[in-house]
Amino acid sequence: MALLEVDALTVRFGGLTAVDRVGFSVDEGQIVSLIGPNGAGKTTLFNAVTAVHPASSGRVRFAGQDLRAPLSFGAMARILLMALGVGALVQVCSDIEGLWQVAVVDRFDYGQQAWAVRDAWHAAVRHLRAQGPWPALVGGMVGAAAAFNAWRTGRLQPLRARRLGIARTFQNIRLFSELSVIDNVLVGLAGAPYGPLAALLRLPRWRRGETAMRIRARDLLAFVGLERFADVPAGGLPYGHQRRLEIARALAGDPRLLLLDEPAAGMNPAEGADLIELIRAIRARGVTVLLIEHHMNVVMGISDRVVVLDHGVRIAEGDPKTVSCDPKVIEAYLGKEEA
Amino acid sequence: MNRPLAWIAALALVAALPWIDLLLPPYWRLGGDVGPILELAIAALGLNLLVGNAGLLNLGSAAFVAVGAYAFSILTTVVYPFQIGFAGGAIGAMAVSALVGAVIAAPTLRLRGDYLAIVTLGFGEIAKDLVTNLDVITSGAEGLTLEPASGARAWLWPYYLALAILAVLVVALTNLDRSRFGRALAAVREDELAASASGVPARRAKLWAFLGCAALCGLYGALYANRLRFSGLPTNYDFQLSLVILSAVILGGMGSIPGVIIGAFIIGGLNSIVLAKVGDLLVRLGLPNDSNSLASPTNWKFLIFGLCLILMMRFRPGGLVPARRVAPAPRASGDGGAHGAA
Repeated sequence: MALLEVDALTVRFGGLTAVDRVGFSVDEGQIVSLIGPNGAGKTTLFNAVTAVHPASSGRVRFAGQDLRAPLSFGAMARILLMALGVGALVQVCSDIEGLWQVAVVDRFDYGQQAWAVRDAWHAAVRHLRAQGPWPALVGGMVGAAAAFNAWRTGRLQPLRARRLGIARTFQNIRLFSELSVIDNVLVGLAGAPYGPLAALLRLPRWRRGETAMRIRARDLLAFVGLERFADVPAGGLPYGHQRRLEIARALAGDPRLLLLDEPAAGMNPAEGADLIELIRAIRARGVTVLLIEHHMNVVMGISDRVVVLDHGVRIAEGDPKTVSCDPKVIEAYLGKEEA
Repeated sequence: MNRPLAWIAALALVAALPWIDLLLPPYWRLGGDVGPILELAIAALGLNLLVGNAGLLNLGSAAFVAVGAYAFSILTTVVYPFQIGFAGGAIGAMAVSALVGAVIAAPTLRLRGDYLAIVTLGFGEIAKDLVTNLDVITSGAEGLTLEPASGARAWLWPYYLALAILAVLVVALTNLDRSRFGRALAAVREDELAASASGVPARRAKLWAFLGCAALCGLYGALYANRLRFSGLPTNYDFQLSLVILSAVILGGMGSIPGVIIGAFIIGGLNSIVLAKVGDLLVRLGLPNDSNSLASPTNWKFLIFGLCLILMMRFRPGGLVPARRVAPAPRASGDGGAHGAA
């Protein structure tokens, strides 16, 4: 079964169609490469798959689920709660001085009268009733509209893609450069072994959870070969190491699919060979890999399948050998031969 | 350097200060002047949660202080029937401040950097006007008076209260920094997109930081009103107060808990001790103090704050005590500066 299904995906920026009705799928356990000349729309496609940019049309499904969050029960409850909350707030605030006057000032009269919560409550309710339902209705509608809009814009978010199991690295490395190497991995770590109270009070749960998290993070650093650098600031690492750290951070969330955007950029051939080994090891952990790459030795060395984009259109797909002989691909890379 | 020991020494010194004070000649006595600084440090730690940890600029923290001070006053004054005492009043003040914070933050937290700063700046002005104009509730421009405290050293109780709260806060916030929540905030500050793509619920993290900031500024307001036995005037909660709190954070070092406290001591100390003493001295020397407003050193304070900030930005942009971003790992036995970095 296909893990990732991209169907007729289109991304437009104003008049520019960066990705034009591209469809392909990635099967579980495969290593698939996405190649194409500069500006072909590869990174835009990645951004659409990880919900960094919304797609203009078409859809992305991951493990059978739509990348857009469905209108769940929780989301509907949130919208309802927001409507009630804002409605109540507007009803109370629309004449808060009058409300205060009848519920507190008149009933207490600077200590001249005994003030009872129950009486004050009744007086307040009477006052709110007398205002009529309009403030609450208008407030409720505004609240519902705002909550609905927040849900609508929030249903497609990098966080959602991450929670479905899609992790990624970035073409222009985006580490938390002031944090230490291990903290970068810890941020990405899946699971919540302790809650805020345990953290504030340093309960044993915090210590156990933190120790377990650090063991996992160190394992991941060892996996990408960075365990020696655990405590240095991430921004101080050499370029190739930063790319590996991004991979470790992405793997920390136990993804099912890992998207690598030009992992070999700026690497020399020896580092490229190490990278091939690393990507193979990632697959051996049960993670499916989709990568964008320009280094053909990397692409040809590890890919099960290759998808070729040019000018936002998918021009070829298949195993590395077939694709590299495809006249359309050669034309896209080298241009047409003069007749 | 042994950090826990330094903290305990500082705590002991500040705790002993009211008694050391008695030994000094009257001119050098600090009296109740250090208490307000401790309270300022609480607000600065709250603002630091937002500015230092989450990297969001808030120019309207005075609004939350006002909300806290007025909520506390309403809940404890004899004019109103609630009269729930200090603890209830302070918790109520924090809750109301956090609620107002949620109302402000929910629609504005998508804004970044300068835009959020402008929204909070505007909110600061609105809150001041609201407090003035809701005069049925807040007594408008007069403020709410609380039952006065009696005794010459009545300031001791608010003083030790502020010190105790500050000590608890330092421990709790340090713990928070070294937890997954502190790391999540730091990640959002460093790169929000990468944080979301790494599984950090960025918007929720920012909302909690905002609520924490609002609650601690509200607590500052409650402590302030409790000490003065007065809600303060609406004009006390103007932009200058927001700037004083922010200056303490920036001067001390954004994101650094000891730095922020030192910043609060410098800004607060300059404001209420050094300049006041210099002013006293000038009066004693027979210099005029009333004809020309510039003759009073307390009126120089914003000039001095501004100068401090410019010099800091030029020579030490991380603050006096820059934050230690690379946190040491927790140890099986206690913790501390395992890596020796200051």
